[in-house]
Amino acid sequence: MFKEIYNYRQMISSMVRKDLRGRYKGSVLGFLWTFINPLLQLVVYNMVFSIILRNNIEKFYLYLFVALIPWIFFSASLTGGSVSIISQKDLVKKIYFPREVIPISYVTSSFVNMLLSFVVVIAVVLFAGVRPDPLGIICLPVIMLVEYVLCLGMAMITSAVTVYFRDLEHILGIIAMAWMYLTPIVYSEDMCPERYRVFLHLNPMTSIVAGYRDVLYWGTVPKLATLGEALLLGIVFLVIGCLVFGRLKKHFAEEL
Amino acid sequence: MSNESVAISVKNVTKQFKVFLDKGTSLKEKVLFRKRNRYENRVVLNDISLEIKKGEAVGLVGHNGCGKSTLLKLMTRILYPDQGTIEVTGRVSSLLELGAGFHPDMSGRENIYTNASIFGLTKKEIDARLDDIIAFSELEDFIDNPVRTYSSGMYMRLAFSVAINVDADVLLVDEILAVGDANFQAKCFAKMQEIKARGTTIVIVSHSLSQIEQICDRSIWIHDGKIEMDGIPRDVHPAYMDFMGKLRKAQLAKERGEEPEEEEEKTEEEKKRWGNGDARITRVAVLDDSGKENNVIRVGDPCSIKLDYEVSSKVTDAVFGIGIFRADGLNIYGSNTRIDGCRVYDIEKGGSLTIKIPSTAMLSGRYTVDLAIESGHGLPVDYWKGACEIETYSNNGDVGACRIAHEWHFTDPGLSDIR
Repeated sequence: MFKEIYNYRQMISSMVRKDLRGRYKGSVLGFLWTFINPLLQLVVYNMVFSIILRNNIEKFYLYLFVALIPWIFFSASLTGGSVSIISQKDLVKKIYFPREVIPISYVTSSFVNMLLSFVVVIAVVLFAGVRPDPLGIICLPVIMLVEYVLCLGMAMITSAVTVYFRDLEHILGIIAMAWMYLTPIVYSEDMCPERYRVFLHLNPMTSIVAGYRDVLYWGTVPKLATLGEALLLGIVFLVIGCLVFGRLKKHFAEEL
Repeated sequence: MSNESVAISVKNVTKQFKVFLDKGTSLKEKVLFRKRNRYENRVVLNDISLEIKKGEAVGLVGHNGCGKSTLLKLMTRILYPDQGTIEVTGRVSSLLELGAGFHPDMSGRENIYTNASIFGLTKKEIDARLDDIIAFSELEDFIDNPVRTYSSGMYMRLAFSVAINVDADVLLVDEILAVGDANFQAKCFAKMQEIKARGTTIVIVSHSLSQIEQICDRSIWIHDGKIEMDGIPRDVHPAYMDFMGKLRKAQLAKERGEEPEEEEEKTEEEKKRWGNGDARITRVAVLDDSGKENNVIRVGDPCSIKLDYEVSSKVTDAVFGIGIFRADGLNIYGSNTRIDGCRVYDIEKGGSLTIKIPSTAMLSGRYTVDLAIESGHGLPVDYWKGACEIETYSNNGDVGACRIAHEWHFTDPGLSDIR
């Protein structure tokens, strides 16, 4: 199976390119939206959480921003990924190709989008005067890769299930919102009561967000335990994703 | 276990679809209206087995909904069988849908890359084929314009060019050979022949029997999810046409409120002859130059074929046809009164018809002649396979299938006095 997907790498790359090019097609600001959108979200969250619901986190805007961008990637994979196969139904019904190509392309294009947003993130980090540890910078791609694995697993599950059960698309909108507040993004882990903290760690995004913060906010090297935990959960989700997808993909063409 | 020369092996494949009478896909509908999820299982393919050898070109025929397209989709792995197995060896290219993934704002060139990538080609492989693809599409001047500026003909030409240049081991084609103008179609056929000659296995689904006859050397007629007949197109297609003609007649009869006629078993002799029987050829004779009945004709001499027919029920827009076949099955020539632009008329009473051939072109050998009467809708009224035979002889050493009228003209003056 992996060999076959590898043979279709050109299809993945052309689908990613098409998606990125088509995403802001016809809008005046075009590709700039990749940068503007997260910045505007940052402004809104910052207004709510540092002016109205005040907290005592230093440089809250940065604390929020380095977690928000990776979260947007995850949430896009979860919700957008769920409709990725339905939106390509003309292809699925008419042509054979490894079906995995669709979620892989979708997640990859969201990933590339996140990488581009990181231009802004790095700028904000430097502006805030954080001096990241060089070893931490080296760890950054590793964290990103771990997140990619997790996102791919999620997208495989949601995209396959949504074909049979269309409500999932709408349910996932709510789940994504809840999931965001169950992940320490607009707050810190310490603010969560001690006895509930263990639940936070069942959430794979908790350790991923912690990893990003270690490097870009604290300027340290992420702990091996944090990375290991994230990787383990990421792989678990990917394996589940592959199994679910493998079972369901055979009847895609009939259901669409 | 599997033979190396087998390209596609279909073993005991059954495929059924759930046809929902009233389907609910959302949660609310699934929970609240349990009863609504009633469905019927429609068996589309029923325990089908067949093998297609490497390099074979096979046509699948059958009426709408008989399962031939489903079989093709199973071969491409878009669908999976409920029971049984399908094995296809080698790279498969399916021409089920042309222009898959075309993006209107991207240029023709970029779309070639996108479209070809869906067939599983890598960038390197596409680079190598790019010139061929562009040349075949005849779109050199427009290749860098966005596809949305293309006419639909140009669009299809580009799409077809990509699909046909994939260089697959197995090519599956569904009803898409009607692309572009007559010239481009001829080119597509030539390309299909070339691909076939290269040893590619081809499977075609088409309602156009003549398309299949041009390309395929085997035809499989599928009826109600089973293989009805499997053989060379010349045997399968007449039987299929006969069946379709009867079906149509039964339908018409039903519309008129009549009971469909009982069908009698056919004798061996009748298998060479089919049609709805509204008119029937009663006598056929081959006449030589002097008008005597004689079926041994010298090549180049005139001959004629005279047929008498009777009519039991009026045939509207009757078309008379002739086909001449060499002993090995090669169709030397075929035509009918419609092709030749003769006046169309209805036949109500019996009569006779003479087909005059001013110069018998077939070179020495035995030839069989098929004669047919069709009604205007193309339904066989009386098709008589091998209605008569013609034997030709020649005192001349020319070779080939037919004598083509020709003259030799020299322009070199030095040859003028050689005798």
